[in-house]
Amino acid sequence: MGEKILEIRHLSKNFGTNHVLRDIDFTVDKGDVISIIGASGSGKSTLLRCINLLETPTSGEILYHGQNVVGRSVNAAAYRSHVGMVFQSFNLFNNMTVLENCMVGQIKVLKKHKEEARAHAMEYLEKVGMAPYINAKPRQISGGQKQRVAIARALAMDPEVLLFDEPTSALDPEMVGEVLSVMQTLANEGMTMLVVTHEMAFARDVSTRVVYMNQGVICEEGPPSEVFGNPRRQETRDFLARFRKN
Amino acid sequence: MERLVQLGADMAKLWERCGGDYLNGMKNTLILALVATAIGCLIGLICGILQTIPHSKNDPPVKRFFLALIRAVVRVYVEVFRGTPMVLQAVFLYYGLPYFTNNSVKFDNIWLAAILVVSINTGAYMAESVRGGIISIDPGQTEGAKAIGMTHVQTMLNVILPQAIRNIMPQIGNNFIINVKDSSVMFIISFTEFFAVHRAAVGQTYLYFPSATIEMIGYLTMTLIASLILRWMEKRMDGDSSYDLVQVDPLTMTAGTYSHPDRGTPFDERSKENREKVRQELKFGRNRGDR
Repeated sequence: MGEKILEIRHLSKNFGTNHVLRDIDFTVDKGDVISIIGASGSGKSTLLRCINLLETPTSGEILYHGQNVVGRSVNAAAYRSHVGMVFQSFNLFNNMTVLENCMVGQIKVLKKHKEEARAHAMEYLEKVGMAPYINAKPRQISGGQKQRVAIARALAMDPEVLLFDEPTSALDPEMVGEVLSVMQTLANEGMTMLVVTHEMAFARDVSTRVVYMNQGVICEEGPPSEVFGNPRRQETRDFLARFRKN
Repeated sequence: MERLVQLGADMAKLWERCGGDYLNGMKNTLILALVATAIGCLIGLICGILQTIPHSKNDPPVKRFFLALIRAVVRVYVEVFRGTPMVLQAVFLYYGLPYFTNNSVKFDNIWLAAILVVSINTGAYMAESVRGGIISIDPGQTEGAKAIGMTHVQTMLNVILPQAIRNIMPQIGNNFIINVKDSSVMFIISFTEFFAVHRAAVGQTYLYFPSATIEMIGYLTMTLIASLILRWMEKRMDGDSSYDLVQVDPLTMTAGTYSHPDRGTPFDERSKENREKVRQELKFGRNRGDR
């Protein structure tokens, strides 16, 4: 067990009368690779967005190294710079080149010098195999390439945790592999990751822990061998059975 | 045909007599339109930015009050100046101010008054265009910026505004061309722009139609050139449609990513570590526990 980075306590989120998340409790330790699986609308993405404060939780606490980050008095921007996020729709800045995308956060948020930021950005672009494309604009590269740049952009901020919100769902099948292999490399290097995914193979083979969500609650949680090999709950079995069929 | 020849002759006569005046009028019109459009865009930009400051129910009451106040003020400004004719605004500003203040506040400089009226008017139109430009940017851009820890101001300056301004360029061009033409109503405060020259020339020569033709050609020339310049600017803002692949990046070489065999990333197929790992994997199968 590593050091506790995030601790989520009794987290709930309502959109009007729709209870999207109900009393979520779980912790993220250093080095964890947690896959969050579940049907569409089960609250996976909302949970991730709450953790990054893109959505304000209705109630509950999110402790980051023991400090609550939910509430008015918290500097959300400073917290977010430690918790990176990769989106389903990439969200690269369209007005910047690939390299600038990876530098702007370091320069504006971390107040690094341009040269330093450039070297750091290049290091990660190299890692995701996008170094040859540093002068391209996001509209000029493919979806898989965009997502790899988005990962490099998040990594360049040196986050403690990286959140992935269905990173491969918007990609053509042949591009899924390139993104997953980057993510696998990160996992192998000990990056702490929280991945909302429909890629069951990734959840099974790469993650250290799998969380199955159903209708806004954590239905089952455990090591992949247990959740996939011997699910305790009927809901989990039904959900996984749908994937086996295909 | 005869008529056209006659028209040409009259125009030549007019140009000989008042050509300098026409050119001077065109110069004044262009300066007024340029300066007023620039200031108007600035006003519009400020209003648009103020209107799109995010607000939520969880903000402290003081902040909410001020934001609501700002939005109300901007709204009134836009509705009033967009909803009344510029001629009347000029009258109110130029003649109304001295009238209400017993001549203690008045414009000594006619340029200042004209620029003020046209700028305020343009600003009212641009405020809505800028707001539209800002809200038309995909919310994902804001989320992407927030996710790397940018504040609202940083997000606006670095991500949203550069894209929004590109999108409202056609609107800026629209307003500039409208200003070139509509500044003609500034004759009401005896500003000598292009159209005022026409009135003066006709007064002297009674060649009404030839003068109007010169005006037509003059306005069309100005607006066509403006259109061309704007198109060119938009193209430049879009940047090159192609890009160069950087095969060898000098910086990564000096950073040593590849130069040292033991320091390569696992992604680097040339790295010793990775080769060793692949060899092991082939031999014993993939090791899931290694991290």
